[in-house]
Amino acid sequence: MKQIALDEPAVVIIGSGAGGGTLAYELTQQGIECVVLEAGPYLKNEDYENDEWKAFNQMAWLDPRTTSGSWRIAKDFPSLPAWIVKAVGGTTTHWSGATPRFKEHEFKALSTYGPVEGASLLDWPITLAEMEPYYERAEMAMGSTHRHGRAALPANNNYKVFANGAERIGYKRYATGPYATNAEPYDGRPASIQDGFNFQGDKSGAKWSIMVREIPRALETGLLDLRPDSHVVRITHDASGKADAVIYADKDGNLHRQAARVVCVAGNSIETARLLLLSESTRFPKGLANGSDQVGRNYMRHLTGSVYARFDKPVRMYRGETMAGLIADESRFDPSRGFVGGFYMETISLGPAFLAAFVEPGAWGPDFAEIMSSYANTAGMWIVGEDMPQSDNRITLSSNVRDQWDLPVANVHFDDHPNDVAMREYGYGKAAELYDAVGALGHHRTPPYPSTHNLGTCRMSERAEDGVCDRNGRTHEVANLFISDGSQMTTGAAANPTLTIVALAMRQADYLAGELKRGNL
Amino acid sequence: MEMTRSAPSGSASSVAVETVADRGYKGIPIGLERGSGSRKLLARMIRVMFPHKGIPDAPYIRAAEAVLALACEKPGRQVAFAAAIQDLMNLDFEAMDDAAALDHLRAMSATDFFTQFQGKALLAFYDDPEVWEHLGYEGPSFDKGGYVNRGFNDLDWLPDPRIEEYDGGEQ
Ligand SMILES: Cc1cc2nc3c(=O)[nH]c(=O)nc-3n(C[C@H](O)[C@H](O)[C@H](O)COP(=O)(O)OP(=O)(O)OC[C@H]3O[C@@H](n4cnc5c(N)ncnc54)[C@H](O)[C@@H]3O)c2cc1C
Repeated sequence: MKQIALDEPAVVIIGSGAGGGTLAYELTQQGIECVVLEAGPYLKNEDYENDEWKAFNQMAWLDPRTTSGSWRIAKDFPSLPAWIVKAVGGTTTHWSGATPRFKEHEFKALSTYGPVEGASLLDWPITLAEMEPYYERAEMAMGSTHRHGRAALPANNNYKVFANGAERIGYKRYATGPYATNAEPYDGRPASIQDGFNFQGDKSGAKWSIMVREIPRALETGLLDLRPDSHVVRITHDASGKADAVIYADKDGNLHRQAARVVCVAGNSIETARLLLLSESTRFPKGLANGSDQVGRNYMRHLTGSVYARFDKPVRMYRGETMAGLIADESRFDPSRGFVGGFYMETISLGPAFLAAFVEPGAWGPDFAEIMSSYANTAGMWIVGEDMPQSDNRITLSSNVRDQWDLPVANVHFDDHPNDVAMREYGYGKAAELYDAVGALGHHRTPPYPSTHNLGTCRMSERAEDGVCDRNGRTHEVANLFISDGSQMTTGAAANPTLTIVALAMRQADYLAGELKRGNL
Repeated sequence: MEMTRSAPSGSASSVAVETVADRGYKGIPIGLERGSGSRKLLARMIRVMFPHKGIPDAPYIRAAEAVLALACEKPGRQVAFAAAIQDLMNLDFEAMDDAAALDHLRAMSATDFFTQFQGKALLAFYDDPEVWEHLGYEGPSFDKGGYVNRGFNDLDWLPDPRIEEYDGGEQ
């Protein structure tokens, strides 16, 4: 593997997930060397576990975090605001694979929805038209089904219930994708064996992840210096205010300093914001690139919720591709429903261990046992929609809790916006209607899980005072500092975010490569 | 990392303090050792919390052991659990019928002891392969080739739906 000297000013990427891993792959394909610093270990498919808690404990980000605000997570899972992975490949190792694109109007949330009280909506400084070529490339890289001639995944049991219910209540836009797991062999990886464990890492390799595709290929170029177990604790800058190095702790807590020409932060929204806040200095007293005071603000997590329905006959939702079922009818913009923004419905399945923990946190007793007893006859769906950015929903540094390196942990503050609540209630109602139409005996409305989609804490904005970075993810204040993950998102749209994170990283790579070649960085 | 919920403050220690004040340390099974009766009592509690008719005692006992192991991690927790368990023994909890036992648990459900107990018992009980089997979950599947040839699509009480996207255009 390539070894870049610590004192050689390098292109340094922090985090190896959807954003950082894509960037490393794209840059190395263009002949540009880079260092990737990843806080977690380098685990591979054969290390993954077919067991919910074992897999979670093996790979999830378990360093402490704290929570505040009126969201239920702060009461039920106060130290686990988010489900994020700490390993090479980041959360794409545990992701499921749904890859819808954002819609044209969703890049123009403020102009489309108009001002919404309490929300800090903005238009993106880029448009769908600019993103389209990158969406195509991202769909090719990730192997999205239903796209560019690729086959659809077959219907699994959970989908059969979901799609029949959809048809009966008049929905039309249902399908088994787009979904970034192979229906047929593609790109050197096999077809799905429908094992039902993609939330646990997918041992077969049929599912796209940064770990199976971008990392090995970037390593093959001989231009990537990948350093797992390397937790970045500070980005430093020179007298002119440009980033000049990053400091990281190895797994034994020894500090190292890597000189940097360019720094790209892709630690997933909570850690990206935390790292900038931790990198405060006399010149940047509120945190690096935080003159606007926007770092950490406008944290979004998508409006979510699940509905689990019981039937008198077996479903066995756990067999097969977890999220290979999507309904897009409600993703439209239609304020007559009582809210702005839209949502998708997607199949979901949890094993009994996770279902017990998450279906109704804190519940017990005969009614709860009945939910669990119906396990084999249960079908499940997830509702995922656009939540409103709010300036007080934010990541801050904890004043009293510290991590293993004695650094303040991130506090995640979140209050639902009334628009979020209205959309969730409407979504629950539609989900119940759908399942009733195929004979449900009963259903349960499950509150949001710890956030799997974490967005917006360093948002893109036209004007420096409204956000943290520009249309290329370059921070307004520090010319060689880039935001390269989901925290760039100006607004969240309804779609699952990863296709867009990958497309944005591809776009940023083209820009960065150009700037480097022109000698501007 | 503890997946248990946050607890209302104060309640556990106040239970412990009261019990200690009333009866002295003597009656408290501090060791929480096997055979002290704690295990059986906790298993009964777990069955009242998570009643599944067809499931035998073994998984309930294993979950009780997991709770005891959690209790014994820290002396403060241990004494609080011991005191709470002693209270339940004094009330002859094990002899209560299902309805009375359920009412009793409901009445104590805001205590720190109960919250910790419930969190740990739930995690342990529903993570037990014997319980999975009773619920109809098949556990790891990769080594068996997944479900591609083992029924991922064997649901036959509904028609086979369309899998392709709708071709009637955008909204
Ligand atoms: C169960 C689950 C299912 C999901 N399903 C879907 C889906 O179907 N569709 C979809 O679009 N999205 C899905 N997602 C979300 C998706 O995984 C994330 O949106 C995506 O991975 C985020 O990319 P990222 O680059 O922002 O961060 P990540 O992929 O999380 O990568 C961040 C990486 O940075 C590392 N890091 C953080 N801080 C530091 C530091 N200081 N120093 C060094 N390294 C650091 C982390 O360890 C991590 O590896 C799912 C997520 C989960 C948990």
